[in-house]
Amino acid sequence: MIPLSELEKAVREGLAYLKAQEDVEEGEVYVASNGVLLARLNYTSHIPCNGVEEPKSVENYGVGVQAVFKADGEKVRRIGFGSETSDISVEGVRSALEKARRGAVADPEFYTLVRPAAEQRTLNSYHDPRVLDIRDADLVDAGWRVVNGALRVFQTSESLGNLVERPEKLGELGLIVSGDVTILQERMAIASYAMPEVQTDESAAIMSFITSMVEREGSKGSGYEATTRLDGFTDGAGREAAQAAIATIGGVRLPSGDYRVVFGRQATMEIMHYIVLPGLSTGMFYAVGSPFMGQMGQQVASTKFNIHDDGAAPGLVGSKGITCEGLPTGRTDLIVDGKLVGLLSNHYETQRLMSDPKAKEKLGVDPKENASAFVPRNGFRFARGGGRHFDAQPGIHPTNILLPGEVESTESMCRLVGDGIYIGRIWYTYPVNGLRAGDFTGTVVGDSYIIRDGKLAEPLKPNTLRITENIRNVLNGVIGVSKEGKPTLVWAADEIVYAPEMAVEKVHLDSIGEYMETL
Amino acid sequence: MPQRVSIDAIPQMRDAVFDLVASYSRSKRHCRYADVRVEVSEGKVAVAENGMDKFSGEDYGFAFGIRVLGGENVVSPGYFGGIVGAADLPEIGERLKEGLDHAYERAVANARSKEGARSRFSGLGDALYDMSLAPVEVRQDTTDARYEIDPRTVPLEEVGKYVREVSQRVQGLDSGVVFNYISAYTMLERHLFVSSEGANIDQTRAVSQGMCFVVAQGKDGHQELYDYSGHQRGWEVITRGVEQEFIHLPHLMDFSLELARDTVALAACKPLKATDDEVVVVTDPHYNALVCHEVVGHPTELDRALKFETGYAGRSWFLRDVKENQIGKRVGSDLVTAFSDPTIDGFGHYMYDDEGTPARRVYHFDKGIFGGFSNSRQTAAIMGLEPNGHYKATDASLVPLIRMSNTAFAPGDRDPHDIIREVEKGYYVVGHRIPSIAESRENFRITAMKVYEIKNGEIGEMFRDGGLMSDTRDYFLNVDAVGNDFRLFAIPNCGKGQPMQTKRMSNGGPTMRSRARLTGV
Repeated sequence: MIPLSELEKAVREGLAYLKAQEDVEEGEVYVASNGVLLARLNYTSHIPCNGVEEPKSVENYGVGVQAVFKADGEKVRRIGFGSETSDISVEGVRSALEKARRGAVADPEFYTLVRPAAEQRTLNSYHDPRVLDIRDADLVDAGWRVVNGALRVFQTSESLGNLVERPEKLGELGLIVSGDVTILQERMAIASYAMPEVQTDESAAIMSFITSMVEREGSKGSGYEATTRLDGFTDGAGREAAQAAIATIGGVRLPSGDYRVVFGRQATMEIMHYIVLPGLSTGMFYAVGSPFMGQMGQQVASTKFNIHDDGAAPGLVGSKGITCEGLPTGRTDLIVDGKLVGLLSNHYETQRLMSDPKAKEKLGVDPKENASAFVPRNGFRFARGGGRHFDAQPGIHPTNILLPGEVESTESMCRLVGDGIYIGRIWYTYPVNGLRAGDFTGTVVGDSYIIRDGKLAEPLKPNTLRITENIRNVLNGVIGVSKEGKPTLVWAADEIVYAPEMAVEKVHLDSIGEYMETL
Repeated sequence: MPQRVSIDAIPQMRDAVFDLVASYSRSKRHCRYADVRVEVSEGKVAVAENGMDKFSGEDYGFAFGIRVLGGENVVSPGYFGGIVGAADLPEIGERLKEGLDHAYERAVANARSKEGARSRFSGLGDALYDMSLAPVEVRQDTTDARYEIDPRTVPLEEVGKYVREVSQRVQGLDSGVVFNYISAYTMLERHLFVSSEGANIDQTRAVSQGMCFVVAQGKDGHQELYDYSGHQRGWEVITRGVEQEFIHLPHLMDFSLELARDTVALAACKPLKATDDEVVVVTDPHYNALVCHEVVGHPTELDRALKFETGYAGRSWFLRDVKENQIGKRVGSDLVTAFSDPTIDGFGHYMYDDEGTPARRVYHFDKGIFGGFSNSRQTAAIMGLEPNGHYKATDASLVPLIRMSNTAFAPGDRDPHDIIREVEKGYYVVGHRIPSIAESRENFRITAMKVYEIKNGEIGEMFRDGGLMSDTRDYFLNVDAVGNDFRLFAIPNCGKGQPMQTKRMSNGGPTMRSRARLTGV
């Protein structure tokens, strides 16, 4: 990792170089250094395995330059972006600028580079510096800590012991520990003509998302841990996943039908990540692709449903001090009491929406009269599974997603439903007819139970039910949201959803894969 | 000023990297094996939306990845990846040496911890094995790219102008087109693989890809469709198209206009009504490309079958464990044969994978009987099989995974028109759209671009937002006709791994007939 002081110096010198260029109307220099350290885990008691399968990392650093080139003779005003890897000297900036110049285009929807925000930065020095200095052996140790945590649970489980003749036969149950420990190390610095004071940010996180199975019994459980502090990382995700796998042994099938459902935290996260959040950005409204087209200010969900993004929340794993555009992070309310009130945005998309002649039709309101709903607090350069990359232009990415609720506990959520299903984990949840149509499907893959008389009863057999629903029905059918949200991860997602449990009036489920019982 | 990075850097560093890997593995007491992959690419890209320029760029990529197997009493792996630049070129040997040190330290620490776990967990520790790689023929080879128009010679302005014109034509096609996104890129990639066993392989390929996304608004409905064109050739893929035995691609202009016409027409159609019961369905080659991808290609990746992906992309219903699996068992009708073959021309073509294994065809289904998996040297060793060359990374800095190559249903001998003509009442399912597959790939739901009613052997009304849902084995057992119209399509966005790797490949097949439930409203 390149020290922050060097990144800051590189930006200062790079901006000075840019300002000396006659053809540059305005410019921005962004320098970043990123490390993604990852231990992939694969323990299988019935198949030869390594336990920690891939202790690995990818590191990079470099500079990205965004520049607006003046109109000159026949040439119109153009915007370009270029980057250079592993060189943050003035030579690197020169090379990046040359690439920006060569590729610059006349985009009629581009107006200016980022301008200072009315809001102030609130988050400083919020990371744990020790996470930025992890050694090879620490990475390996973090992976084994989680594997060992799960194996300890398996080895000492009375339930599992009862399923085999003697303890040495435990492995025949097909015990699986799968997932990873991911360590993110991010440093960045940025300055531009309009915001010449160099701003820096430094962030780190340790996350683990574990799946365990007792495969012979067809049971599956999940465990999560996400923290910003090295001493906060434990074997908890491995233990939690193993315990959840053991708890769901003896799962039963259910017939197709409409059910009252409590979505557990992972299932709530998955629906938010794949179906709801993609439709809550200014870019998706511009492209006429959101399921909420024309509904700003209107009721799009039950009054029990609230969702907001907060990139400046102290202590939360997805928090950052500033965006990758140099703007302060902060809270953006998206749906409040079921009403659509705001969208995630970056600078480019907010500008574009404000000038789009069809914006009122797309949004349902005049954006100029509702500017506070489209503040660019989410312009990040996330890519490659983690990091704030110098060679990417800012996209729109959520940070910490929160869904505040009022129901006290899982028990209370189940009482709300009465008779139904607790769906703890779903998979491959895609908008199968395009995002705007709102139709989605996915299969129930673990951590799930029947709810009978307001209580969790038998576990549900994984991979036996497919959800067939529309997101509008689900959001309008929300009858309760739990109070406590826990950081929950989904494969390949950038954001952290502090997911609650969410009770829904009616969800259609199809029974699938019955032939699997006969194999 | 730093040196320029071009694909010519690979032959310039080839001998030095080979010597480094050989000497490094000898110099470390507990190093059992090491390999290094280096990749350099040079490419151009442009994007337009609604007829307006959005981005264009010309750049290089430069990355390396390292694997070391090591340990004192038991062997474990360690990896390191780097994304580097022109400034690193003069010192690339030093960068690789640092990477080897990290990978070695990780491997040795990993082996030490594995040994500890083996002794700590009696019984459960027995599965923690002494890792090995199945043997392969060690090769030294060089393969060249195939192209008519060298991506390096195409002016960037031409790339930008072309996509803008396509986007403008799509926008002007119909007032119902409310948004379009067009992109194209063309590039050369050069990969070096060297190992401590003596492998030394330099492969170059040309890759060009176009993409079209269209949103259309009708009177009562809307529709959004996207599709990709692509091949391992030069810029001519975009501007002239491809006309080969199994690959028929129009140029990006016609490709995009055709997709836009379909999108507009579908926005005016009624949505398909879902059925509770199975109906006769005839599926076209484009739709079957995604069926094959999702429910043949993925569950026949041996890393997935051996549970490596349990926490991510799921397992495979074809394999419970080394002894209990579907190999040699019936999983489809006699008419269903499917294979992966990197050696044939297509978006997934290569001659050696990312551990230097010579690529070869593997039959997953042979006349309905399950034949085998795509594998790597590690997974082949676990199963006692011969490696077949399917271990691939999408970027040299990332750890390879078992991936599809050119994976397809084999052709049959029926005229596709006859396959439709024989249907008294059924549906013709055309073009793949969006999938959702069960965890072990035992069930699938895949939407189609277009679904037509078939009445008395004639194609009738077209519907939008429809597709199929079925249990996988039932679907394959019910296949009763396979056409002779085999085709391969570019699939550029297959996600797998952590961090997610998005890989290019080909999938395909002929027209097929089976039974499934319709999905819709």
